[in-house]
Amino acid sequence: MINVFKNLYNYRELLKTNVKKEIRGKYKNSFLGVLWSFLNPLLQILVYAIVFQMILKNPQENYAIFICCGLIPWTFFSSAISRSAFTMVENGNLLKKVYFPREILPISIVTSEAVNFLISTIIIIAFVIFGGLGLSKYIVFYPLVLLAQYLLLIAISLIVSSISVYVRDLQHLIGVALQLLFYATPIVYAADAIPADFQWILKLNPMTYIIEAYRDMFYTQTTVDVSALLILIAISLVGCVIGYMIFNKLQKGFAEQL
Amino acid sequence: MSEEYKIIVKDVYKTFNVYLDKANTIKEKLLFLFSRNKKEKREVLKGINLKIKKGEVVALIGTNGSGKSTLLKLMTKIIYPNKGEIITNGKLTSLLELGAGFHPDFSGRENIYFNASIFGLTKKEIDKRIDQIIEFSELGQYIDNPVRTYSSGMYMRLAFSVAINVDADILLIDEILSVGDEHFQNKCYNKMRDLKDQGKTMVFVTHSMQAVKQLCDRAVWLCDGKIKMDGSTEDVVDEYIKETK
Repeated sequence: MINVFKNLYNYRELLKTNVKKEIRGKYKNSFLGVLWSFLNPLLQILVYAIVFQMILKNPQENYAIFICCGLIPWTFFSSAISRSAFTMVENGNLLKKVYFPREILPISIVTSEAVNFLISTIIIIAFVIFGGLGLSKYIVFYPLVLLAQYLLLIAISLIVSSISVYVRDLQHLIGVALQLLFYATPIVYAADAIPADFQWILKLNPMTYIIEAYRDMFYTQTTVDVSALLILIAISLVGCVIGYMIFNKLQKGFAEQL
Repeated sequence: MSEEYKIIVKDVYKTFNVYLDKANTIKEKLLFLFSRNKKEKREVLKGINLKIKKGEVVALIGTNGSGKSTLLKLMTKIIYPNKGEIITNGKLTSLLELGAGFHPDFSGRENIYFNASIFGLTKKEIDKRIDQIIEFSELGQYIDNPVRTYSSGMYMRLAFSVAINVDADILLIDEILSVGDEHFQNKCYNKMRDLKDQGKTMVFVTHSMQAVKQLCDRAVWLCDGKIKMDGSTEDVVDEYIKETK
């Protein structure tokens, strides 16, 4: 296990350049470039605000802030997972010719998405400040929530990226699964709006706790459920170990499968 | 395990599954369960045993398809053996294909950073070597042009300059040197001799018997996935030339 970290540490430069490449490459060739990091979520928030607030008359106060606390972390979650399903195939040429720790690839996807999320957090903060709510002191929990989400994503992306080499269907299945999960997560609605019969779905969904935590600190401005987050971090760490074991087993065949 | 050996290959078998029709999706995989899965097993390496000492320069020779490149890939850990074990001791760099991991749109200089980081160097270490690498490649003013504008000779010079300057303990090289002109080839051989004197271990695959005789003190002849002969360069090369004539 120590060897794993030593190896990653030795290749930190590759991780760094890869993260930079991912961030730069994302909006390459687009006219507005990095501005899309802001525009994309803003436009999405606008769409949801129109549909759910103006047309469906959602009773939530400050709906734009409410949705932005859910949507931006969700974008981090879903794009990290869907992109890690493609990363191995995209880098097939490299994998076939050079040795480097393969886990660098999914880790740099998650890390670059985390950086993107950090930038997008400016939107949440802007919404909160200009929406009249102001920043609460509970923002100190932000790093803890981010850590929980990061570890969770590392675990998932290790599994997704390695399995998708062998089963290419996964790339398409994940799109559908993410859409389903989107509605099983309290993003466009509040968790307590769900009937008691279906509450268990939200309880099983790790993203519920993460989005609730962001909402607690930015929207309702109350303290976050620290014990839930710590449990989530513990589970994610176990997930990372299992994910790494699966990844390590599967990566031996990457060069031949691609 | 003794430090003396840099590479130990223990009874390694490697089989490739050659799919005539590859099933990549679940649907195809399910369908293939019922129909005959068109798959051929190709045994590439059959029980290879090899120990390479520190400071040795070993040539792998043999006809096409004898498993030389596969053995090299196994040593790099790009692929893994079906049976047996390969242990390498120390920092390893391999040059299996020209400019693997070069990004065509990036400049030569940027690619040096990217390529060297794939070999596990940190930015500081690359900064220290960059002038040396550029000088060795003789690319001069072209170093800041995008790599896609390079000729194959320039490509190879850049790739080789990076690989040879990363200070690896073990260097694995697949026949790529043939691309450069004579001047650059000689320069590479000189550099490799320097590395040899520094006690680096090298394994390389080549069809140029002249290069083998010049550089290597040991040659391993692979034939049909087995080691046919292993010994001093002179003996093996002479025997090999006799046989293949």
